[in-house]
Amino acid sequence: MTGLISLTGLLPLAAEGHEEEESTIQIGHHRTAEWLGMTFNTDTIISTLVAGALVLILGFVVVRQMNKQTEDHVPTKTQILWESVVGEVNKQVNDNLGKVHPYVAPLAISLFFFILFANWLELVPTRLNDDAHLLPAPTADTNLTYALAAVTMVSVWAYGIRQKGTKGYFKHFLEPFPVLLPLNILEELTKPITLALRLFGNIFAGGIMLSLIGLIPIYAFWAPNLIWKAFDMFIGAIQAFIFALLTVLYFAMAGAGHEEHELHEEYEEEERRKKADAAHADEAAPVPAH
Amino acid sequence: MASVAITPMESNFLVPNATFFVELAAFALLLFLLAKYVIPPINRAMTRRQDAIRAQFAELDEAKSEANAAEEEFKSQIADARHEAARIREEAREQGAAIIAEMREQAQAESTRIVEHAHAQIEADRKAAAASLRAEVGTLATTLAGRIVGESLDDEARQSRVVDRFLSDLEGAN
Repeated sequence: MTGLISLTGLLPLAAEGHEEEESTIQIGHHRTAEWLGMTFNTDTIISTLVAGALVLILGFVVVRQMNKQTEDHVPTKTQILWESVVGEVNKQVNDNLGKVHPYVAPLAISLFFFILFANWLELVPTRLNDDAHLLPAPTADTNLTYALAAVTMVSVWAYGIRQKGTKGYFKHFLEPFPVLLPLNILEELTKPITLALRLFGNIFAGGIMLSLIGLIPIYAFWAPNLIWKAFDMFIGAIQAFIFALLTVLYFAMAGAGHEEHELHEEYEEEERRKKADAAHADEAAPVPAH
Repeated sequence: MASVAITPMESNFLVPNATFFVELAAFALLLFLLAKYVIPPINRAMTRRQDAIRAQFAELDEAKSEANAAEEEFKSQIADARHEAARIREEAREQGAAIIAEMREQAQAESTRIVEHAHAQIEADRKAAAASLRAEVGTLATTLAGRIVGESLDDEARQSRVVDRFLSDLEGAN
């Protein structure tokens, strides 16, 4: 209870909490370095490199395994992991974009694996004390999530403009009614922000929960710790999946402008047919009764 | 003054700092490496395996249809063989019947021939017997009658008249 109170007291600004007492939880505190007048969060950068290196190692391990066994088509476990993710993403991209786009599919796959590993770094107990957390989840830093969202959205906009032409793409902002232009622009701007902050918030909150659980006396803390870490693992996977899926969906939305109308027309057509069938069935119904 | 204004900004975790650019570069590098060196081989391997599986399925289908065809052929051959065997049996039966009939006919003809031959033989024998009778009975009878009557019946003319009368009597008695 005291932990919670001190936490709510700390929430707006973490800087003052530094010198209060031992059991404070520091929010958004990073080890930083200054270079060329800019601030770098060194812990986030190191965690990012670790997560990226893990993904790359896993990726190159798989490539080596696949090169080794050529005739025998039985995949290894790592290969199955990669292939199921790659296959699933390819399927999603194919369903939404009409083909396995050579940029979108690798982007979504990279996002998924990178975010997954970054999220799961949270679970590795590398928090030595309040000041030294060796590998905090880099996704609990908005710098990373903003960067990922920026890559995604810039790619999405570029894709939309290339698919429909500059004029066609911007005309889409006036549809279905020109009055909705502000809303359409707002929607386009909220996409990267929600993308970034959803991921950040989930992982950040997971970290806070772990810190809070860490305040529980040592003889009782293992049970909630275990349960929360299992749940956090699930959240990490879900968030990685959502980020990758939304990326694909944003590409699809940017690329296919008139799909919604067509879908609507198809739906109406379907309804009409159903009604006609029902009417026909009503007419036909008395006949077998005779 | 400036440092006072910046300090709370630094601690606000929703405002990005220069780490953003490092993260951008790091992810761009990761994306490049994965897209260039990792994902294409995986895609190729998946396609290859799917092709292999598809080919195996095709082979399986082919083998199955071949086996079915072979079974069909086998069955039809068996049926043909049965049919052939039945035909041969039937033919053999017909042939046997024909042979028996022919043999019977032959035997019939043979027996007829033997009987006719025997009749002819008998007729010939009878004729020979009659001829020798005609030749010898005359002399024998005249000799006998001459002895009884004591009269020589050596006269040729008389002798043959007597014999003829005897024979015609004999025939008349018959």
